[in-house]
Formats: sequence, structure tokens, C-alpha cells
Amino acid sequence: MQRAILVLVTVLLGAAWAMAETTLEKIVRTGTITIGTRTGSPPFAYINRQNEWVGFSIDLVEQAIVPALSRTLGKPVKLDKKETAPQTRIPLLTSHAVDLIAETMTDTRSRREAVDFSLTFFVTGAQFLVKKESPIKGIKDIAGRRVAAQQGSTNAKIIRERVPKTRLQEFPDQPTAFQALAQGQVDAYTNDGIQLAGLKAKSPRPDEWKIVGDFYSYEPYGMALRKNESDFRQLVNLGLMEAIESGKYFELYDKWLGPKGEVPYPLTPETRRFLQMQVVPK
Amino acid sequence: MDPRVILSNLEFLIIQGFLGLGVFTGGTLRLALPAIILGSILGIFIGLGRLAGSPWIRIPATIYVEFFRGVPLVMVIFWFWFMIPLLLRIPLPEYGAALMAFVVFEAAYLGEIVRTGIQSVPRGQVEAATATGLTTAQTMRHVVLPQALRNMIPALVTQFIVLFKDTSLASIIGYIDLTKAAQIVNSREIRPFELYLFIAIVYWLCTYAMSRYARYVERRLRPA
Amino acid sequence: MNYDFDWSVLWTGQSGQWLLQGVMTTLRLSTLAWLLAALLGILSGALRAAGSKALSRLATFYVEFFRNVPILVWMFFWYFAVPPLLPQAVREWLFHHGAEFWAAISALGVYHGARFSEVIRSGIQSIPKTQLEAALSSGLTVTQAYRLVIVPIALRLIIPSATNESLNLLKNSSLAMTISVAELTFQTRQIEAYTAKALEALTAGTAIYLALCLGIASVMAQVERRYAIPGMIARAGRAEH
Repeated sequence: MQRAILVLVTVLLGAAWAMAETTLEKIVRTGTITIGTRTGSPPFAYINRQNEWVGFSIDLVEQAIVPALSRTLGKPVKLDKKETAPQTRIPLLTSHAVDLIAETMTDTRSRREAVDFSLTFFVTGAQFLVKKESPIKGIKDIAGRRVAAQQGSTNAKIIRERVPKTRLQEFPDQPTAFQALAQGQVDAYTNDGIQLAGLKAKSPRPDEWKIVGDFYSYEPYGMALRKNESDFRQLVNLGLMEAIESGKYFELYDKWLGPKGEVPYPLTPETRRFLQMQVVPK
Repeated sequence: MDPRVILSNLEFLIIQGFLGLGVFTGGTLRLALPAIILGSILGIFIGLGRLAGSPWIRIPATIYVEFFRGVPLVMVIFWFWFMIPLLLRIPLPEYGAALMAFVVFEAAYLGEIVRTGIQSVPRGQVEAATATGLTTAQTMRHVVLPQALRNMIPALVTQFIVLFKDTSLASIIGYIDLTKAAQIVNSREIRPFELYLFIAIVYWLCTYAMSRYARYVERRLRPA
Repeated sequence: MNYDFDWSVLWTGQSGQWLLQGVMTTLRLSTLAWLLAALLGILSGALRAAGSKALSRLATFYVEFFRNVPILVWMFFWYFAVPPLLPQAVREWLFHHGAEFWAAISALGVYHGARFSEVIRSGIQSIPKTQLEAALSSGLTVTQAYRLVIVPIALRLIIPSATNESLNLLKNSSLAMTISVAELTFQTRQIEAYTAKALEALTAGTAIYLALCLGIASVMAQVERRYAIPGMIARAGRAEH
């Protein structure tokens, strides 16, 4: 009995000590960086037809951030992926289950109270996905209609506040919400424009869908990390800046979002400029 | 009704979703088998605890059983998934969270089966054992438990079937079991009837086989 | 432990309202599903115990198929797979009148109907044959014997396992959140999503489920005591899966 208590105390102390380490220390110790990402958000993070877990966000980490980490820390770093969803990503980050959230997370002021964000790596806004014949043209048309959203998303919150007459149906994740739209249980699905473009492109018959409405929200995507980790944040941002500077970022952008990419979504000149201006001088 | 979608995704559904041998951490069996074994072990302790003489053991055991029988399993899964990492500052993958939730939850039900099984052994057996000089522990080990186990087996297998079906709830936290695999495929192909009917049949085959086995064991064990 | 407790989120803002709405939805969902389940259970249980060969076979198929598949799979099946099979007009009506709610009721009702069927069947079968023989020999027809003697006794015998199954139904209603029904578990996650206070939200949800289940269980225990048939209680209702 006493031995059991001793073992338990040692384990707890060990765990507590382990948790006092910083993210960089953990990466050096384990040689792995664990990211939280999605499985149903093409082209940022999804499972493709060959059942591989791929995407733009995943590539950015793998090809821009991991090299910066490996170079600075002086040892090879491996990438480990875990699935996260809007409701769980912040708890999973703060509990050290993941080190970085690399998916489709919008950088907002209220979120910055709980976590820190990297540079913005993508810009989009919320819109609606509807069937081709739908009369819905934007946020003015959705009052009284059935609209699907992901539970806990910024889109759900905005619709709830701005158009309370909407019959909002909140689903635990994007695949279920899209299934509901595909089968007509709802009239529209709201999410960030790019995610809608991804769903549309990957659906069996993309011409059946259209994306409507002006951006009713501004959604800059950033990668979230824990607070008080300036060194780690510095390296993450360094990786992103170097990728933008060297053109690697635009190469990856083209691969996933270019005209021949998984989900064509042209980079506007303003966005390109914005991204380039985030790269501060050496 | 187009079975081709099943055939083209069969590997993902069965190898990854059901067996758990794919690229992702997943698999219905990978969750069900350890849960059954660990849940049974914990269940035996809980069941014995409920029969203990000392109220220090009996009352917590009773509270344990009453608590887990009064909350939905999905709540317990959320508890482990959200709170263990937060409270103990240990990272917890979905597999770990789901497995712990199942073991802890099912142990309450298995504990009840153990308890009623032990209580179904006639008092005469215990009295005879004590009369021949065996201690309480020896009586339990050599006389009561073997007979109790025989009585419990049908109810235990029944509960194992429940546990097997409950593994589908792990899909809610993203664990790629058979149910989640079907959802992933459906959000790509939009053929819900074929896909959900297919996994219903797979589950049915497994549980029906298990319940036939339970009935077979029950028949074998019924006193002549 | 690095967590800022803030229990006030449960009653400030919208959380309290959400919890209340969640409870109401859970109760409404569970009650309607229970009625469906009881109907299907009694029908199929009776058919299995005393119906014609063909009807008994049909009832057995219903029970064996529906109860051996996880309820979550049924939730998805009834919500996603069934509506496309319905005629256009029915589908339109459903979509405008809470399809997810009806799908959840169907899934829960049909699934638990199969389980109730087992409870009822074992209740009927545990009544000694002598009761039926006595009833028949005193001049009642088979239908009358069942209606006036067997079924009333069976209903009283099965109170514990029927209560157990009903509580299972209540607990399984939590899975309706996966098809966007805003019941209690959904609202728990909603509070967590908007306030980031997972511990408080989960505690509230768990406490409410516990209160509901323990409350119903103790009421039914009283009922069972009142209607107990001395000498017969231990016979019936072994917990079925």
C-alpha cells in the first residue's frame, strides 16, 4: 500500500515537473511537435480519397515551420497530428495535448485572452453555401430559414446575434452539417468562404452548389499557441515569414488553392500585399 | 441504392474503422477488447466492494454504481476528454479518453452483475465452506466466486455486447471507429442509406454472434 | 491545476436559459420517444409471446435487428438515410417542422421499442403457465386471458426492468445532439463553447441528469413497492441488453 502511494506521488510529481517545461523544451525532449488540426475542412486539413491526412495548414507546418524548428533547435523534428474541433481546440491546447493549432482558426481579440496567435496565414470571411437553385443571396435572406453551422463557431455566434430569426441548426462538426445541407434538411450552411469552397470542390457534383453573400465577417486565420511562449511563437512566425519571403508559401498556396489546386480560391492583390507586409526586416 | 460506394471504401471502413489497423488511431475492436477486459477487472472490484462488510468500502462503491448509472455515457466521455487534461495537465489522446471513460462507466454495470452473481450463490455453500474450516477469503476464492462466475456469464456477455455497441460513441470525440469512418466517407460521397445500413449490418453481425453465444452458454449452464 | 473557476457563468448571461431549454427538450424528446417505444414494445412483445408463427417471426426480426445496432448509428440513419426515401411532400413538411427532432424520436423509439419488447417478453414468460391454464379453464378466451390476467401481472412484474430501460432511453436522448437537437448535452457543450468554462458546464449537465435519473428511479421504486406481487418479484426481468 505504501509502495503504491510512493509510485503515485512520484508519477504526479513527474507529471507536474514535466508540465513546467516550455513547448520548445518539450519538442527538444520528444523530437515531435503535436498539432491540432481538422479532418473535414478541405483544403486546409482533411482526409483525401487515398485516406491520407493532408492540407494547406498541415503543409505550412510541415514545410515552413518544422524546418525552422529543426534548424534552430539543432535536431530533426517530427510532426504529429491530432483532430480538434472548435469546442475542444483551446482546452486541448492549454492542457498541452497539442502544441499548436494549425487548421482554420480565426484570430480574434476575445480568443487572444486565452491563447496567442501566429501571423495571419490566410484571410477569408463568412458566407453561405446553398443549392444552385436557392433564392438565398446573402445574410439579408436568411431570416426564418434553416441554416446549419458548427456548434461553437464564430459564424454561429454572429448569426445568432445579428439575425436571431434564423432557424439555426448547430451540428458537432462540418461533415454532419454538410450532410444535412446535401439532403435538404437545411437551406444553407454557413462557414468561412474558403471552407465552403473546399466542400463544394470536393462534393460529388460541385456544380450543384454555389457560395453566396458578401463576407459578413472578417476571418483572418492564425495558428494558435499557448500564452507565455515567446520563443516558440518567434520560431513559428519565423517559419511563416521565411516561407512568405522565399515564395514557398505561394507555392503551397498554389498547390492547394491555385487554379489547379484542390480548391481554387484566388489570392487577391490586397491579401498578397498584406501577407508580404507581415514579413518584417531581418 | 448503389453498393459500389461500400465496395470502393470497404478497406477504409473495415480495416481502419473496424479493426483499427490504418493510418489513424482508431478501430472499434481496438477500443472494445481492452475496455471489456479492463472493465471486467474493475467491475469485479466494484462488485466485491458493494458486498464488503466495512461501510468505508461499501458506501463509496454504492455511490460509484449509482452515479454512473445515472449519467449518460457521452457525458462521461466528455468529462474524461475535457477535464483530465485540464486537471492533471497530462495530454490525453481520444483513444485514452474514450477507453478510460468506457472502463469506468461499464465497471459500474459489470459490478452490479458481479454483485448479483455472488449473491445468487446459496448461503448453504458459504456455511458449508466455513464449517470445513475455510477463511472468508478462501471461501470467496474457492467456493463462491467459481459458482458465481458460472451464474454471471450470460449477463456478463450481455453487458459486453452493450459495451461493444457503446464504442460507437467514441466517434463523437473524433476517434475513428466504424461509425466515424462511415461519417467521413458519407461527407465525401453523400450516400447515407448504403453507408449507415452497411455499418448497421456489421454491428449487427458482431452483436448477434455474441448474443447467440450468450444464449448457448446460458443453455449449457442451466441446471439439468 | 491551472483553471479559473467561475460558477457564475451558469446563471449570468444565457447559460441558465440554455440549460432550462435543454432540459425541456430532453424531457419532451424522451417522453415522445418513450410512448413510441412502449407501443412498439408491447406490440412486439405480445406478438412474440403469443402471436401467430409469422407475426412472431416478424416481431423477432424487428427486435433482433434493431437492438443489436448502436443507437448512435440509428440516429444518423433516421436523420440522414430515411428522409430521402420519403415522398417529397412528407420530406418538405419534416424539414420545416424539426426533422432532427422527429428523427431522434424515431431512432430512440424504435431502438428502445425493441428493448422494451425483450423486457415484456421475459415478463410474460416468467408468469407460471398455471396462471394461463387457470384463466382459460375458468372460461376466458385466449385474448381475454391475456388481457385480464396475464398482461396486468406482467406489467407489474416488469416494473424494475422497465424503469431501467426507460432511464436508458433518457440517457440515450443525449445522443440527439449529434443531429443538432438542442437537448441538455448539446446545451452543456454550448455553454462550454461560449464561456470556455468546461468544468462548470459539465458539472451542471451531469447534476441535472443525475437528478432526473435518481428522481425517476426512486419514484418508480415506490411504485414497485406498492404494486408488488408477493412471491413473484424475483422471477421476472433479468436485465436485457
